[in-house]
Amino acid sequence: MIMALFFKDKDQVVDWDTLISDIQSEKVYNPYCKSQDYYSVFKTIIISMLHGKEIVLVDSDFSDSELETLTGQTTFSSFNVDLDPLDPPIVSKSQLIKGLNATGEHWKVTLYTSGTTGIPKKVTHSYNSITRFVKYSKQNRDSVWGYAYNPTHMAGLQVFLQALMNGNSMVNLFHLSTEDIYREIEENQITHISATPTFYRLLLPYHKSFPSMQRITSGGEKFNERMSSQIGEVFPNAKINNVYASTEAGTLFASDNNDFTVKPEFEGLVKIEENELIIHKSLLGESEMKVDEWYPTGDIIDLISRNPLKFRFVSRKNEMINVGGYKVDPNEVEEYIRMIPGIKAARVFAKHNSVIGNLICCELVSEDSQLSEPDIRAFLQSRLQEFKIPRMFTFREKISTTRTGKTKRS
Amino acid sequence: MQDKLLVIINTVLQNRGKDQVKRIKSKSHLRNDIGFDSLDLAEFTVRVEAEFDIDIFEDGIVNTVGEVESKLDK
Repeated sequence: MIMALFFKDKDQVVDWDTLISDIQSEKVYNPYCKSQDYYSVFKTIIISMLHGKEIVLVDSDFSDSELETLTGQTTFSSFNVDLDPLDPPIVSKSQLIKGLNATGEHWKVTLYTSGTTGIPKKVTHSYNSITRFVKYSKQNRDSVWGYAYNPTHMAGLQVFLQALMNGNSMVNLFHLSTEDIYREIEENQITHISATPTFYRLLLPYHKSFPSMQRITSGGEKFNERMSSQIGEVFPNAKINNVYASTEAGTLFASDNNDFTVKPEFEGLVKIEENELIIHKSLLGESEMKVDEWYPTGDIIDLISRNPLKFRFVSRKNEMINVGGYKVDPNEVEEYIRMIPGIKAARVFAKHNSVIGNLICCELVSEDSQLSEPDIRAFLQSRLQEFKIPRMFTFREKISTTRTGKTKRS
Repeated sequence: MQDKLLVIINTVLQNRGKDQVKRIKSKSHLRNDIGFDSLDLAEFTVRVEAEFDIDIFEDGIVNTVGEVESKLDK
């Protein structure tokens, strides 16, 4: 692997010198950034920061009608502006990072939430709110990131900034096959990955171990103990941590296990009502949403202690399925189903039912062709309350996921 | 049609570890005679819908096998 690597995506290999020369030679800027090419997205973000210009990140797979609804237009060429040459010119990686660190408060980035519930929401962040959790340190200087998010989404933007500001290399892993992901990890000696639990779930279990990995970060969904231990076997030298982040607020909390402690600087800005995490609007980016003083996150937590405020995430509020008045957490049911030997993946979801409101259903991927519905049921009956056990099972080749890589719920 | 309903009823009963029934009559009561609870009824409706493409509970509670049959006959 070349040490001066900036970004690699399959056969596309870009070193830092090429990045710098591409940035220098760019004469035109368009604030609407929509591209399937990750490098092009990264380059445009860097240019926007260096020139102090606002940027709007648009998913490359948004349809024309989604674009029309979100931005008011379907083509963006009329927004092109000429760029003045950078003064002083940037000729080295260290100058580039210095220039990025000087990004002013007037720089803004707008992105859209992934919107599993309907139309995506628009959220705008400043340099300070987006880099709140970016850590600069000499220790991080040689990190190599496995890139496992969409670059136009919040999590992808944060991983990119973390890698960029520390001058690290990034290797794309998103949408690669399991074998290709492990090959990239080995060939490039990847040290850090930040991804959704679904991403890791599709990698596990695996028969080989990769000692280069130093840190595994998971976010977006609950990360269970069984997965943590399987990850420990594949990445024996990796520390595992969780982050709590949302498009509305950016990264707020990080933890080395499932327990999150609210940092002193956020004291008084975070509270808990009826087991739901509520955050103060000063922690949010600007948004078109009408936000009162306090913003309900929709995340259901278990309170561990009040002082310091310490908690554990249980589920998303809107993910709870109501079955005849009983609330069922699909994550919990999936966790048990995945314990069954031979089950590779499971998706628990609600099907509307005129008798009890919702019926719990489940799609599974099984490696064991002998495994039958009664077997699964017998396993679950000794572990879960009857109303939580899916009433309909469907065997599938693969499980459907959302654009961000989370498990679909409906 | 009663044969198909019998198969569906027994699938639901078997799933819950309950005793299966040998035969059903039009006046068999889904709860009292067959032993369905509300979850069983819900599963039953989904399976009937999958087979016949009709939601038998759409406009009100159905109590007997005969009432199910008349919904499906429509």
